[in-house]
Amino acid sequence: MKYDKFFALAKEAGIEEAELYIGESFSLSFSLFHGEVDKYSSNKSMTILARGIINGKFGTASCDSWSNAHAKFLVDAIVKNAKVIENTDPAFIFEGSKKYKKMSTFNKELANISIDEKMGKLHELEKLIKEGDPRIVEVAAVEYEESASSSTIMNSKGLKLQQKSNYFVYIGQAVAKQGEQTKSSYDLAFDNDFSKFDVKKLAEKVVKNTVDQLGGEPCESANYKTVLSPDVVAALLNAYVGNADAEEVQKQSSLFIGKLGQKVASKKITIEDKPLQRSVFCRWFDDEGVATYNKPIIKNGVLQTYLYNLTTAAKAGVETTANASRGGGKMGISPFFLALKPGKKSQEELFKEVGNGVYITDVSGLHAGLNPQSGNFSLQSTGFLIKDGKIDRGLDVVTVSGNLIKLFNDVLEVGSDVKVLPSDISCSSLLIKELVVSGK
Amino acid sequence: MLIAPFIIIILQLGCCLYSIVFYLLNIKKGYYVIKFTHFAERRPNMISKKLAIEVLNEALATGADYAEIFYEDSHSYSLSIENGKVETSSSNIMNGVGLRLLRNNQCVYGYTNELTRKGLVSLAQSLRSSFHDERKITVTKLDYTNVKNRNPIKQSYDDISREEKIALVKEGLEEIQKRNDPRLVRYIGSFADNHRFVAIFNSKEKWFKRDTEFGRLAYMVIAADQNGFETAFNGPGCQSDISFFREKINVKELANKTADTALMMLTAKECPSGKMPVVIGNGWGGVLFHESCGHPLEASAIAKGLSCFTGKHGDMVASPLVSAVDDSTIPSAWGSIDIDDEGNPGTKRLLIKNGKLNDYMIDDFNGRRMNREGNGACRRQNYKFCPTSRMSNTYICNGKSTPEEIIKATKLGLYTVGFNGGSVDPTTGEFNFGCSEAYIIRDGKICEPVKGATLIGHGDEILKHIDMVGNDLELAQGMCGAGSGSIRTNVGQPTLRVSEITVGGRGGELK
Repeated sequence: MKYDKFFALAKEAGIEEAELYIGESFSLSFSLFHGEVDKYSSNKSMTILARGIINGKFGTASCDSWSNAHAKFLVDAIVKNAKVIENTDPAFIFEGSKKYKKMSTFNKELANISIDEKMGKLHELEKLIKEGDPRIVEVAAVEYEESASSSTIMNSKGLKLQQKSNYFVYIGQAVAKQGEQTKSSYDLAFDNDFSKFDVKKLAEKVVKNTVDQLGGEPCESANYKTVLSPDVVAALLNAYVGNADAEEVQKQSSLFIGKLGQKVASKKITIEDKPLQRSVFCRWFDDEGVATYNKPIIKNGVLQTYLYNLTTAAKAGVETTANASRGGGKMGISPFFLALKPGKKSQEELFKEVGNGVYITDVSGLHAGLNPQSGNFSLQSTGFLIKDGKIDRGLDVVTVSGNLIKLFNDVLEVGSDVKVLPSDISCSSLLIKELVVSGK
Repeated sequence: MLIAPFIIIILQLGCCLYSIVFYLLNIKKGYYVIKFTHFAERRPNMISKKLAIEVLNEALATGADYAEIFYEDSHSYSLSIENGKVETSSSNIMNGVGLRLLRNNQCVYGYTNELTRKGLVSLAQSLRSSFHDERKITVTKLDYTNVKNRNPIKQSYDDISREEKIALVKEGLEEIQKRNDPRLVRYIGSFADNHRFVAIFNSKEKWFKRDTEFGRLAYMVIAADQNGFETAFNGPGCQSDISFFREKINVKELANKTADTALMMLTAKECPSGKMPVVIGNGWGGVLFHESCGHPLEASAIAKGLSCFTGKHGDMVASPLVSAVDDSTIPSAWGSIDIDDEGNPGTKRLLIKNGKLNDYMIDDFNGRRMNREGNGACRRQNYKFCPTSRMSNTYICNGKSTPEEIIKATKLGLYTVGFNGGSVDPTTGEFNFGCSEAYIIRDGKICEPVKGATLIGHGDEILKHIDMVGNDLELAQGMCGAGSGSIRTNVGQPTLRVSEITVGGRGGELK
C-alpha cells in the first residue's frame, strides 16, 4: 500500500498511534471577458495531514505530495512537534464508529459533460447579463469552476474511510452605471447536477442585484425595524453558532457559557446541523472519523447542545457530536450544514409587517467588522428603505450595527423563503425588532 | 470541505473580497495558526535547466506567446501557546510547479506536484490544448539572471530549535500571566516562520531564483467581564531572521500592550455613528489607503477598466497633501520582493504625487491591455495560484503636521488607533475597515474609548477629504487576500485626518 511506509516508520519512531488524512482534488475553471476566454485552469492537487500520539501528546505535520521522503518528513516532524506540546488535553486516534450511514452524493455525470457545453453556458451567461438592462455597462467577469474531491482517513487502529464529493459553480459579476454612480454585484449558482443549472435565472439575479442598487443614497442614522436577506442571515448565523463550539465554552470565551437548556434566541429560531442531508454538503464522517448525525443546536430559542470533537467531549464527560473539523495544526470544531428552520410568512409579508424600516441585502468586511468573541458587529451594508410595507429606494454608504445575541433574541419572524448558500448553510429572511443603521 | 474552493473563486472575481486581515479574528476556526519544519533534504525535486527547456517548448507548441515555469519548495513551522501551555506545534512542506501560458490576452494556468519529466510534460500538453495555432517561439537556452538580495538572513529559522521559538513567545506571555487578572481569560501567543525557495524559468530564455525567509510573532488576548468579551491583537512580522524579534521587538511590552488594550476596551462605550471628522492613527491606519486606493490601482482592476480610477491618470484623486507609494525594495520589510513572480525586479512606484494619480501596480500580463511593461508587482500565494498584480509595502508619505497638532486642531471627532482589517470592491471603490481601538476627541483632547466602529466610504472620494497629514509614518504587517491568494503586505501611513467619513456604530449621535 502506498501509505504503509508512513505507518511503519511511525511505529519505528515510537509514535503510539498515527493517522493520515488525505485530501485529493481535481479542479477545472475558466472565465470570459468580452466574449473571450481570459483564464483557463485545470489542476490536480493533494493535501496530506498527519498526526501521531507520543506520551499522550499530538504532533502534527502536513505536505502536498507523496514519496518515501515525505513519509520520513512527516514522522520526524510529528516526533519533534509532539515533544514540545504542554497541553494536557486527552488525545485520541479513533478506532471507528459502530455504524456509518454511508451516503454518496457524488455525481459521475458532471465529468462526462463536455467542456464545450460548460463553456457554452458561460458565453450565454455573459450575453444575458450584458443584454439584461441598458444600465449594465460591463460584465466584469463570468466564471465556471468545477471540483471533484475525496477525503480519506486512515489510522494505525485500522480505520479507513473515504467520502467523495463534487460540484460546479457559475458566477457572474456585473457593473451598472447611472449618472456618476457605479455599482457592481455578483451572484452564483452551484450544484452537482448540471441539468439543474438555469442560466437565465442566474443572469436575471446578477442583473437585478446590480441595477437595483442604482439611485441609492444614505439614510438617516437611526434604529430601524429591519428585514435581513438570507445571505446576510447566513453570514451572521455562522458567527453566532460559533458560540456552541465546546472548546470556546471550555476556554471561557463563548457567549453560550452556562446556557445549555436555556433560551439564547427568540422562540422563532430553530437551527439544526444536518451533515446527512442529501446535498453537495453531505458528510457521513467527521475529520476524526466519527459517524455524523443530524441534530438540533437551538430549538425554539433554547440551546440543545454544544458541538464537540473527541477531546472536548472527553473533557466534558459526554459523547462527541461528530463535529471535528481541521483547521491549521489543530483539530477544531465546526457544524457541517447549518439549517435555519423556515417560518410561514413570505418576504413580502415581512415587508408589510415592517411598515417603515430597512431591508438589508448584503454585508461586507465580516473579518474586520464582526468580533466573534463579543458578538458585536458593524458592517458595510447594501439594501433598501421599506416604506409603507414596500421596497422603496436603495441605500448607499450605510453600515448596520448590532450584537449577535441581541439580534437573534430580537427576531420577530422567520421568512418562508429558503436559500442554500455555498458556505454550507440553508437560511431564510429574518424580521428583526430593531438594528442601528448609520448613514447621514 | 466546500468552503475553501468557493472562497477562492469569489476572491478571483474580486468583487467583494479584496481584503486585508491583520487580526486573524477567527480563532474559533483555528485560522490564526499558520503552519510549519525542516525537510531533511533541501530541494530534492528541483527541476534541471534541460527539463525546464523541454517543458517550455512542449507548452509553446500550439502558439502560446509566453510560457513560464514557477517552481516552489517551501517549508514552514508554526506554534501556538495558550495560557502558558504549548498547544500546537506544526510543520508543513509544499513542493510543486505552476505552469502559465499566455497568448495575447488569454492566460492558461495549471500546477502539479508530480515533478518528474512525465508529470511536467503531461501538464504542458494538457494546458497547451487550449490553443490551436502554429508554434511562435522555441526556447534554446536559459540564462541565469542574478538578483541582488536586499533581505539577507544571517541565521535560518530552520536552524533554530522549537524550544527557542517557544521561549521567545513565552517571555511575553509570562508578563500577562504575572498579572493574575481573572478578566484575562485567554492569552495566546504564536510564532510562525516560512522558508520559501522559488525558481522561475520563462520563454524569454531567462531563469531566476529567490530564497526568502519570514517570521511572525503574535499575541492575542481575550478579556471578559460581566458585560461580555473584548479582544486585542498585535502581530509584528519581518523578512529577516529571529534577531528582529529579539532586538527590535520588546516582546514583554508587546504582550502587556495587547492585554492593556483588551482590558481597556471592556470599559469602552459604543461608538457614535454618522458622518464625522476622524483622525486615523499611524501604521495600521494605512488600511485606509490599502483598501480605498491600493486595490483599485492594481493592473488587475485597471487593465480591464474595472477600477474606480480607470481613465483618471494625471487627475487629482486626493488632497494635494497626499503622496502615496508602493515600494517592494525596502530592505527586510514584510512585503518586499527582490524579484516578482514573473522575474521582474521589485521597484518603488509613486502611485499618487501631491494628490495626482501617477502610477499603478502592474504585471506583464495585465500590462498587455495597458501597453505597459510590468513594474515588478506580480505576486501569488504559492504555486497553486495564477499570479497577478498586487501590492507590497504600500503607504501614504509623511506630511508636515505633528500627531499632537492634528489632535489639537480637532474640536469633535473620532481618533482610531487599532484596526481589524477591511475590504473593498475595486470597481465601485466602496470600502470598509473595522476599528479595534478608538477614542472620542473633544476640544483637541483624546477622551473616552469607544468600541465597534466601522469606517466606510468611496475610494475615489475619501482621499480628497484628507486635510492634515502627520510626520510619524509607520508600517504595519498584514495578510492581503485577492485574486492570487493570500500574500504578505505592509500597510502604512503617518497619523492623518479625514474631514468627514461615515462611521458605523451603536452609540447614537456624536456629542
